[in-house]
Amino acid sequence: MSAWAILTDVTKCIGCEECVVACKRTNDTGEDAPERWQGSPEDLSSTRWTTIVSAPRGRSVRLHCRHCLEPACASACPVGALHKTPEGPVAYDPDICMGCRYCMIACPFKMTRYEWESATPRVRKCILCYDRVLRGEIKEPACTAACPAKATIFGDRRALLAEARRRIAAEPGRYIDHIWGEHEVGGTSVLYLSDVDLSAAGWPSSLRDGSYPALTHPAMHAVPPAFLGVGAVMFGLSWVIGRRERLAREGDPDAPPREGGHTPPKAEP
Amino acid sequence: MSAPASTRLATAKAVLWLLVGVATAVAVVRYAYGLGRTTALTDLTPWGLWIGLDVMAGVALAAGGFVIAATVHVFHRERFHSLVRPAILTAFLGYAAVVLGLLVDLGRPWNIWRMTVRWQPTSALFEVGWCVMLYLTVLTLEFAPVVFEGLKWSRAFALLKRATLPLVVVGIALSTLHQSSLGTLLVIAPGRLHPLWYSPILPLLFLVSAIGLGLATVVAEDVTTTWLYHRQPEWDLLPSLTRASAVVLLAYLALRLGDLAFRGSLGRVLEGSWWSALFVVELLLSVVVPVLIFLFPSTRKSPAALSAGAFLVIAGFVLDRATVGGIAHLARTRDSYVPAATEISISLGIIAAMALVFMFFVEHLGVWETPPPAPDHFRPAVTDPSSSVRLRGPWFGAVQRSGLAWVIGAVLGLGLASAEVSHRSAMRRTPVARPRTVAVDRTERPGQLLHQLRLVPATAASETTENALLLSASGGGRYVLFEHDQHQKRLGGVSSCRRCHHLNLPLDKATPCASCHRDMYAATDIFAHARHVATLGDNASCPRCHPPASAKTREASTPCASCHAAEGGEPIGLAAARKWAPGLAPGYRDSLHALCISCHRAEEARTARAPYLSRCPACHRGAATGDEDLRIREGAVLLAKR
Repeated sequence: MSAWAILTDVTKCIGCEECVVACKRTNDTGEDAPERWQGSPEDLSSTRWTTIVSAPRGRSVRLHCRHCLEPACASACPVGALHKTPEGPVAYDPDICMGCRYCMIACPFKMTRYEWESATPRVRKCILCYDRVLRGEIKEPACTAACPAKATIFGDRRALLAEARRRIAAEPGRYIDHIWGEHEVGGTSVLYLSDVDLSAAGWPSSLRDGSYPALTHPAMHAVPPAFLGVGAVMFGLSWVIGRRERLAREGDPDAPPREGGHTPPKAEP
Repeated sequence: MSAPASTRLATAKAVLWLLVGVATAVAVVRYAYGLGRTTALTDLTPWGLWIGLDVMAGVALAAGGFVIAATVHVFHRERFHSLVRPAILTAFLGYAAVVLGLLVDLGRPWNIWRMTVRWQPTSALFEVGWCVMLYLTVLTLEFAPVVFEGLKWSRAFALLKRATLPLVVVGIALSTLHQSSLGTLLVIAPGRLHPLWYSPILPLLFLVSAIGLGLATVVAEDVTTTWLYHRQPEWDLLPSLTRASAVVLLAYLALRLGDLAFRGSLGRVLEGSWWSALFVVELLLSVVVPVLIFLFPSTRKSPAALSAGAFLVIAGFVLDRATVGGIAHLARTRDSYVPAATEISISLGIIAAMALVFMFFVEHLGVWETPPPAPDHFRPAVTDPSSSVRLRGPWFGAVQRSGLAWVIGAVLGLGLASAEVSHRSAMRRTPVARPRTVAVDRTERPGQLLHQLRLVPATAASETTENALLLSASGGGRYVLFEHDQHQKRLGGVSSCRRCHHLNLPLDKATPCASCHRDMYAATDIFAHARHVATLGDNASCPRCHPPASAKTREASTPCASCHAAEGGEPIGLAAARKWAPGLAPGYRDSLHALCISCHRAEEARTARAPYLSRCPACHRGAATGDEDLRIREGAVLLAKR
């Protein structure tokens, strides 16, 4: 399998939260203790890596990390603790993380959570059960395996995109003709099909289609030339101005001597 | 030295030491309890005062160092030479404050060194980190000659003096990158910043504003220290600095407004929201009013007006950096954030510590061309060596005063931090998850007593579909299906809402289940003495429950649990753990739950075909048969007996 992905069909979700329970069990996240720093109790938290929120017309929508194809969080991480794996999931290494929380600022979906209650806090989010699936302990992420309605399924991204298009084509009246995650933020590994607008359920309408890390690239690419350029210009200016002043002083013997300047201290004998 | 000067300085130092003491104690508590208990940060507002003030504004305020160094060493404006050393010192301390602020703010600061070995050139924060490290090194080398001069190490002094120009130039280049990279930090997050602040050219805006701000900082620093030390401000130099600052600030204003106009957001300035008001206030403080002061003929000659203008610029840009670093995020995240007292005290403490270091350096080294007179209170007390009698000098000197202020501060800080920790630990727990409505179909199965509730997608709702609520009582991911429609029907239709929902009572949104289903929790006297006697062996069995020579009363008997341990089990659901009273059996709810639910849970976990087996409707029948609420089905009881 080349690119792990999840397709969630909102029209099939019964809102039972078996995915939430399975995720909590598999990843051993511990009991929810909704605290101040959590927006609302049903919001994502360090102990709740996936959750279900209500969408218009009684629909239930599952939220979790979108595993962007070009993740802003991984691009923002100054030490590479969050990283895009070759298989697709965005994984996390707490032993490297220095806790700057820039990933939480950068995530366009605001899906990353923090262990605020801990003195050795970690960033917490869905990792698509990356290590367990990789080790072969489970065949697919706990959430998709647990779904009794097959509303959320695991597979290769290209195959799931094809499946999503097939469903839309088979029942055009049932779905909005849009696959959420196909193009948003440069594409995500977590795709959604729905018959209601998802802008209030994890897909804000302010999202851009292009890559988010690319927003920073112009500034970051300018760093080496800016450093060298500014340095060269400053050296040049200093030399030119200094030379002009020296010439002016030599040409005019009455010119006042240079002001200021510190002389080296006399060493005590 | 006049008496008021020494008093003014001594008071300032005592206050600063007090603030440092508070911050020290709070920092200890912060490392012990983590960020959640000592800050107001949330998952949606992961950066707060420490990043906005100490890091973002701290770096901006340190810009005076590279601006003045460039003026003197690159542009050869030698008459500003006397300002270089204080400006470099201020910049050094500004960056030291940034590092301290980061160490407090980082969740895992022991990993900060990894940035030096793991290269992440796509990360703006990686650039920020490297710039801080390198520029702090450069500033140390730029300031080191002052220390060597004080120590009279003439060879080291001469060596570094020769490197002045390269150091200054590298410092300027690093500052250019660093000031701008702080703006780059937010470029990746267009969805977080209000459009009046988000811009792809944030790096440029940060750089240009830092130059104007840096010039104003030098003025403010000179005015403040001359007030503290009763020196003469450099009034021959400062007006030219403010004039240069005004020019840069005007360029910044043009860039800022031009960028807004280019992106079509200029209209938002007048939209009349809190955010547009904040924007206007910020620009008035940071640019418009100071520039008018700096350029208007009647005010630009007044020292008081110029100082006021410089402080306005500082206030305006501290607000700007804090807004970009955090405040303007709230427009998009809809979160709320008011810094905790502990956060404020750490920020103040860091600033106070830097001020104290500044004072130490100007008092002991040649930072100023005319050093301040040695303060009286540094003269040690002289005692008679034979009798230890104090001959002269203050009995309560500077060291004692600072130490006392620090200790008082630390005690205050401990109190403040523990109040904050207990406040944030205990009082702000949010209620359990709100019930979420799901659609269920009820299927009566012929020949079986159990009806089945089946969750269906909202898209598949039919006329027979009922609404149920998914309740999480414990917040532990274990849910209960509450048949809302059935309760409503049983309790009297739409007029029955108030039986459970007290919308007119504050903080009482809904009646807990237990207020109707009381019997579930009551311990009941169902003890059958005769049956126990018969089962256990007539009179010979008395000592089994009544210890010999004890009164044969209920209170003195062996507790039921000593035999019926398995039936007590864990309390389930809403009720708190209860102790068994002697002679009283536990409520049937606990007994039966303990008997049934362990198997139900195991079975539920084993087979995917019974996902709701451990939830209440699996055993409790409602109004479908006309029974009273939650009476246990006959089938379920029979099963338990077998």
